[in-house]
Amino acid sequence: MLVEFETVRRAQQGDSAAFNEIVLAYRKRTLGTIGRLIARTEDVEDVAQEVFLRLYFSLDQLRTPEVFEPWLYRLTVNAAYDYLRKQRRRPEFRMSDLSEQQVMMADAVAGSKADHDEQQKKKLRETVDSLLGTISEADRVLLLMKEVEGLSLRELEKIYRVKENALKVRLFRARQRVLKACGAAERQNQNG
Amino acid sequence: MFPTQGGDDKLDSLWRAYRAACPDQEPSANFMPGLWQRIEARRNFAFSFQRMVRGFVTVAAALTIAIGVYVSLPSPTPASETNYLEALAEANALDTPENIGPVRLDWNEPRR
Repeated sequence: MLVEFETVRRAQQGDSAAFNEIVLAYRKRTLGTIGRLIARTEDVEDVAQEVFLRLYFSLDQLRTPEVFEPWLYRLTVNAAYDYLRKQRRRPEFRMSDLSEQQVMMADAVAGSKADHDEQQKKKLRETVDSLLGTISEADRVLLLMKEVEGLSLRELEKIYRVKENALKVRLFRARQRVLKACGAAERQNQNG
Repeated sequence: MFPTQGGDDKLDSLWRAYRAACPDQEPSANFMPGLWQRIEARRNFAFSFQRMVRGFVTVAAALTIAIGVYVSLPSPTPASETNYLEALAEANALDTPENIGPVRLDWNEPRR
């Protein structure tokens, strides 16, 4: 826990200072998790604010401060998932929609700002994002929570309120699909 | 891009590399003020909605009481105290003079 149980209790009783303390303690981690879940840096803060907004109005439903962290993760996963669903409904803005001049400007900005290391990281992020694009949003979020955020199956059980075995099956299938896509991408790289 | 060993190891190292490539993001200076603005906006909305609902409930309760009182009050017209049959019997009483007079036969009536 990044804050004392007492702080959570005070926040539950409507103490704004205690709530502020919680947000300050968890905001960086929450922003990171959301960033990896939604893969869109420009909307990360907005979704993180939504998480803490939901936390503020649902703190009174929290039974004990001991389950605060899974609760916050649950809110984070739900907010990220809601965002992804909304994005799916919205038409995506692609490079092909831009004019030639806009594309040239975007390339110039990208080239001047990013160094080699950053380019490599960006490439890796894009690769993983495209691999994760082969599975459903729900599986993508679950897989990232387990593999990238490093949550245990027991923690995931608390967050998803689903039996451990069901989670294992789902994770195994998602992993297999990503692995398959990974192999296909590798073969494509070798051929191309 | 991908390590060359077995599938699971490959994926595990890919996740680790991805985690390193996506570090936790620093919040902007506007994060906390923005959050409190949203909380206030939601709170105000919830408050005005509650007030509206409370107003509706009060009006509905007042109307229910008014209708209840109106229905339970006795009607001032005496008609409601006598029923239909009693009223009919009173209007066409059997012991009126035309009913109890002698029976007259009309001989002019054509015979069949």
